[in-house]
Amino acid sequence: MEDWPQVSSRSSSLTVGEQICAVFIPFFAIIDVLISSVGQCFDYRSTSPRSCQHADLERLARESRFSVNEVEALYELFKKLSCSIIDDGLIHKEELRLALFQAPYGENLFLDRVFDLFDEKKNGVIEFEEFIHALSVFHPYAPIEEKIDFAFRLYDLRQTGFIEREEVQQMVSAILMESDMMLSDELLTMIIDKTFADADSDKDGKINKEEWKAYVLKHPSLLKNMTLPYLKDVTTAFPSFIFNTEVED
Amino acid sequence: MAGYLPFHDRNVMAMYKKIYRGEFRCPRWFSAELTRLLSKLLETNPEKRFTFPEIMENSWFKKGFKHIKFYVEDDKLCNVVDDDELESESVESDRDSAVSESEIEYLEPRRRVGGLPRPASLNAFDIISFSQGFDLSGLFDDDGEGSRFVSGAPVSKIISKLEEIAKVVSFTVRKKDCRVSLEGSRQGVKGPLTIAAEIFELTPSLVVVEVKKKGGDKTEYEEFCNNELKPKLQNLTADDVVAEPVMVSAVDETETAIANSPPVCFLPSDTE
Repeated sequence: MEDWPQVSSRSSSLTVGEQICAVFIPFFAIIDVLISSVGQCFDYRSTSPRSCQHADLERLARESRFSVNEVEALYELFKKLSCSIIDDGLIHKEELRLALFQAPYGENLFLDRVFDLFDEKKNGVIEFEEFIHALSVFHPYAPIEEKIDFAFRLYDLRQTGFIEREEVQQMVSAILMESDMMLSDELLTMIIDKTFADADSDKDGKINKEEWKAYVLKHPSLLKNMTLPYLKDVTTAFPSFIFNTEVED
Repeated sequence: MAGYLPFHDRNVMAMYKKIYRGEFRCPRWFSAELTRLLSKLLETNPEKRFTFPEIMENSWFKKGFKHIKFYVEDDKLCNVVDDDELESESVESDRDSAVSESEIEYLEPRRRVGGLPRPASLNAFDIISFSQGFDLSGLFDDDGEGSRFVSGAPVSKIISKLEEIAKVVSFTVRKKDCRVSLEGSRQGVKGPLTIAAEIFELTPSLVVVEVKKKGGDKTEYEEFCNNELKPKLQNLTADDVVAEPVMVSAVDETETAIANSPPVCFLPSDTE
């Protein structure tokens, strides 16, 4: 209590400089907040999936057949792929090409189809949600109908709802060109003829969804590429997620 | 054995502290030997931690231990002891045409013609699925694609050539129908070099041989393929085409024409 008079006298002993600083400090604080929030507008990172909230990961896990930990591990993979060329938290076509071919350039018919199917919104980039949805089909425990459907859409180049003969021809030629391999036209025709004779049951020159389903069930090896056994053990492939996890599986 | 985890805490940071310090408790029913073994396994200092040979020498571990030899086939672990049982089983499963949803057998039923294995036939979609663009496993590993080439040589000749190559470098050979697996003995970081070769029928007189690395070091695999496998199988193609009797059919004329030309065309994709 006897301090009171001393306090007041002490406060008045602040120098003018210190008093000015005292006045300006709150202003500096306000300016600081303004700058950092304006800065965020120009920073893609804050709006990209990089700052994926935990709630998003849980929702994605529920919508797919991955557990939350698996979604987190796949997020690590996604981050690695999405910043390989353009660091914006989204997978561009070149980045997918780089991941699969170890080279970001070059035209590839198959890559185009795969990218197109992953890119549900058709906005030219693969977001994390689209990534998870598509990979979900490749899980070993995904129902075979989903795999059959995905493969059908992959091969239906022009998206007409049928796999036409010209499309099969185009794809086989593309593969042979990729390998600089020469197969005669006759041989090529023979192989495609054999395939269509087997698959096209109503002989209309194209394979519809039902014919495809029946064909695949006769030749299950055709769906080999539609299953990635790695997805069963993805949490061991990307253990760094452990440091970010908030959930115990 | 204990029924609970050695390092566990609801708080992740506290759990990491325990791991870092190697703090754990063994239940009362553990024998003294076991507790000693576990503390040597969960040793925080990697220099002092037990290695596999030391584990194998431990008295607690050795009780009732059976050494099992295994190998990898079709990306599954297979017990060497069960080999004979597997052989008789596979013939039966071929006749069974039921396909279950979650477990698909990727082997087509092998037709046995007079004891000789007949390779599965390739259709247009099989060829399409060879593309690297369609194989998403490239997202997870950089093991590289396999290589494929067309050959006019008969299946039995190709298989015996593969066995010959394996003998030269003292690799173990495992055969199952039209699949041949070559396994080296030298242990590397990624295990011994394991190469799987599979033969498919393209047309009645042409086959496609697919060679893939199943384990081991990538550089070693590429060296082996470029120096041993490819040149020897290449020669096989050229030689045997000349020796084979020409079949009479319009289509086959085209085929032998192709087979006669200097082929060995490798299908995608050799990562060079």
